[in-house]
Amino acid sequence: MNTDNTKAQMRKGILEYCILAVLSRNSCYAVDIINELKKAEVIVVEGTLYPLLTRQKNAGLLSYRWEESPQGPPRKYYELTEVGKIYLNELDKSWEALVESVNQIRDKK
Amino acid sequence: MHSIKYNIYICTTKLVCINRYLTKKTMKVTVNINLGGYAFNVDEDAYDRLRQYLKSLEKEFSGESSAAEIMSDIEGRIAELFKSRLTGYKQVITMKDVEEIMVILGAPEVISGSGTSEEPPPRSQRRIYRDPDGRIIGGVCAGLGAYFNWDPLIWRVIFVALVLAGGFGIALYLILWIIVPEAKTTAQKLEMRGNPVTVENIKDSVKQEFETVKKKMNL
Repeated sequence: MNTDNTKAQMRKGILEYCILAVLSRNSCYAVDIINELKKAEVIVVEGTLYPLLTRQKNAGLLSYRWEESPQGPPRKYYELTEVGKIYLNELDKSWEALVESVNQIRDKK
Repeated sequence: MHSIKYNIYICTTKLVCINRYLTKKTMKVTVNINLGGYAFNVDEDAYDRLRQYLKSLEKEFSGESSAAEIMSDIEGRIAELFKSRLTGYKQVITMKDVEEIMVILGAPEVISGSGTSEEPPPRSQRRIYRDPDGRIIGGVCAGLGAYFNWDPLIWRVIFVALVLAGGFGIALYLILWIIVPEAKTTAQKLEMRGNPVTVENIKDSVKQEFETVKKKMNL
C-alpha cells in the first residue's frame, strides 16, 4: 500500500464531480477548467481532462460551442445541459452525505 | 494518428531542399506536420518523439467509443501550445518543446486513469529450446516434447526410427543440437513450456526445481 496510490484513487473519484462544479458557474474551455482544477490540486496533468469531457458530453451532461481563439485552433466552450444540472445537484447531495459519513466515523470516540 | 500528415522533402540535384535550416552546429532536417489545422515545422527527432507520444495516447484510448474526438481535442491543444512557443526568431518546434508539452499533457497511462501504470500482459510465447533437465543426449527430444507438449518418448522413437531407416536421424539430431539453444535460465525454461514469464511463475519454477534436487539428494 502506498499513500500516493490511495490519494490518486480518491482524486479520480471526485474528478467528474469537480468538472461539473466548475462548469456550473460559467461556460469554459478545457484549459480554464484545467487551471482551476490544477490550482485546487485535483489534477496533475492536462490530458486527464479530455477523455472525461468527451464522456460527459456523450452522456448528455455537457454541451459545447466553438469559439475563435486568439491563438491557435478554435476552442470548445463547454457548458452544463439541463440534465447536467440535475446530475450535479444529485452529486452535491451525495458529496455532502459522504463527507458527513466520513466525519461521523472519524470523530467517533 | 489521422490528422497528422507529413511530407519530407528529399534533396535531389534539381530540387532545392526547403526543409533544412542552419543551427549553430549542424543542419537538421525538419518535418512538416498538420496539427489541428495548423502547419508546423518540426525537427526530425522531435517529430519522432511526438508521433510516438500520439500513438501511445491513441492506443490508450482505443477502447473508447469516441477516441477520434478525444485525440482531435488533444491535438488541438498541442497545436495551441506549439503556437505559443513560436516567435519570429524561432520557427521550428524542437525536442525541448515536445518534451514540455508531454509534461503538461501527461503520460498516456496517467491520462487514461490506470494511474499506477499497470504491468502489460506478460508474453506467453512458446519458444523452442533444448531441455537440459530431461535430456538423454543433448536434450533435443526433451525440448521438442516440451514445445509440442508431447511425451519426449514419442520424439525419441521417431528419431530412433529415422536412424534405423537410413541414418538421416543422426544428421537431423546433430543439426538440431547445434541450432536449438539450450534453456539455461528459468525464464527460458518457462518459455519452452509456453508459460508466461512472470515473477510468480519464475518463483514457482525455482521452487519446483529446488524440490526435485531435494528429492534426488534424499533430504
